[in-house]
Amino acid sequence: MLKGKLTSFVLNFLIVAVVFVMAFPIVWIVMNSFKEAADINAYPPVFRFDPTLENYKVLFDIADAEATSYGTLKVEFFKPVINSVIISAGAVLLSLIAGVPAGYALARFNFRGKEDLAFFILGFRFAPVLLVIIPMFQFFQAIGLYDSYFGMIWVYQLITLPMIIWLCRSYVEDIPVEIEEAAAICGAKRPQIMLQVVLPLLRPGLVGAALLVFLLAWHNFALGLILTAEKTPVTVALLKLLNPGISFYPVVSAGLVISMIVPIALIILGQRHLERGLTFGALK
Amino acid sequence: MVREGVKRGGSGRTFLLISLLPAILILGGFILLFFWGFYQSLTDMRFGRASVDFEGFGNYARLFGRGRFWDSVSTTTIYAFTAVACEAVLGLAIAKLFNTRTLLAKWCRPVILLPLVLPPLSVALMWTTMMNPETGVLNYFLSFIGINNFGWISKADTAMFAVVFIDVWTFTPFFVLIIFAGLRGISPEIIEAGRMNGAKAWGLFLKIELPMVLPYIILAALFRLIDSLNQFDIIFGTTQGGPGNATNVLSISAYFTAFQNLQFGRGAAIMIVNWFIVLISALVMVKLWRYTRKRVS
Repeated sequence: MLKGKLTSFVLNFLIVAVVFVMAFPIVWIVMNSFKEAADINAYPPVFRFDPTLENYKVLFDIADAEATSYGTLKVEFFKPVINSVIISAGAVLLSLIAGVPAGYALARFNFRGKEDLAFFILGFRFAPVLLVIIPMFQFFQAIGLYDSYFGMIWVYQLITLPMIIWLCRSYVEDIPVEIEEAAAICGAKRPQIMLQVVLPLLRPGLVGAALLVFLLAWHNFALGLILTAEKTPVTVALLKLLNPGISFYPVVSAGLVISMIVPIALIILGQRHLERGLTFGALK
Repeated sequence: MVREGVKRGGSGRTFLLISLLPAILILGGFILLFFWGFYQSLTDMRFGRASVDFEGFGNYARLFGRGRFWDSVSTTTIYAFTAVACEAVLGLAIAKLFNTRTLLAKWCRPVILLPLVLPPLSVALMWTTMMNPETGVLNYFLSFIGINNFGWISKADTAMFAVVFIDVWTFTPFFVLIIFAGLRGISPEIIEAGRMNGAKAWGLFLKIELPMVLPYIILAALFRLIDSLNQFDIIFGTTQGGPGNATNVLSISAYFTAFQNLQFGRGAAIMIVNWFIVLISALVMVKLWRYTRKRVS
């Protein structure tokens, strides 16, 4: 009996330790984002402090001129957030339009080379992004897509489209074929079956897939770093925050919190779909 | 048969074509770019210079003759294989831990997924602020156990450890997720049968559980290995390849070659080599996965 209690104590202790390691950095960065510069650079680190919103005010440029400890330094972080939302949402939308019919076809039709095509699509998951960006950079410069929303939404398909196709295929396979057969017997044509029978059944799955793929688009850094100048996504803007040369950790912390809030909000919304999506392809 | 009717209607072929076409067009465009990138690697293309000469494998020959390039090759493989090995071991341990019937295990499970949903670049910058040798909170914790002024990403001999550490923190949850699914898939009867035969806890784990989750571990390792061999965000966000040459993996080296020195041809050549390493590693892992899966069934 004593041994059982001891094991249970050790196990619980280990779980607390793992949770601490996973959660502490995030808690710490949230704390930092509410500290004043002096508190952040203090050693030993400060765990109790008077919270301030100054960092967020500087980040979004809503502080009165020279009212902050950074003087006249200007930061523009609101635009990158908007950029990221436009690019990610646009990429998800385009992927849904192109990917859902493809996912459906891969689930329901038999044709020669089907598995090859599916595997080829999965292969994009492993594409070395930089290898595509180097030629793309010149191409974009040449046709004027460099630093445009349209161009970014297009290259983001490299990440979002294969994922949507793959997830959509697995969701369609979960729907019994018999439902479609019944509709076919009633005389419904294929496009009708897809729009009126399959799509409504697919909707919860697609919402989850869209959330997850939005998350992946939000994560991306390399594409924005190389292919944009003004229309930079959040991740690239974060890196630029480190550049002013002065100790800018407090404002960077606030930026980090903003860049992390969106994914965390999304997983709370789409929790049920997350595990299937995060293990993309590895588990069905 | 009704099923046949649904599968092969008269209008089926057109419908199939129309539904696949947009996706194939978009993805096909990327394939063309990939081939163009390969062509670039065979030229002396520089950005901003009009003349481009085809020079066969000249870029590759020049790369293979440079010690710096081979340093990058070994840095890339060391980074990826160390990170994935640590993640596999920790992932297995944590999955086992959270598969116990402990009360906290159920409540805390969402927390361990957290690192996976954050942008890798944000994660990299987050650790950068914590790894500051003078004021960072990590060195504050280390000072309790008598380690002072650990260099983390600022010193050449600790930088590799630091970036691998960040990779491990971020992606161990991926292994946990997949191994967890593997553990859940083992039927209780098999475990019970093992216990009847007098196997102890460790014996059960080594003889039954481990072989059965091994295919899952290798599958997760395959996915992570490919990503880690291509890793760009975490290293760019922390060391940018430095200090000196310590973490200069191939993708970072290709970025600076192409976009700072503007040698597009050579940059593309570095990425082709990177892609080749990814391909070979992936094929080996797939072989290994097939082998372990066959042994289980």
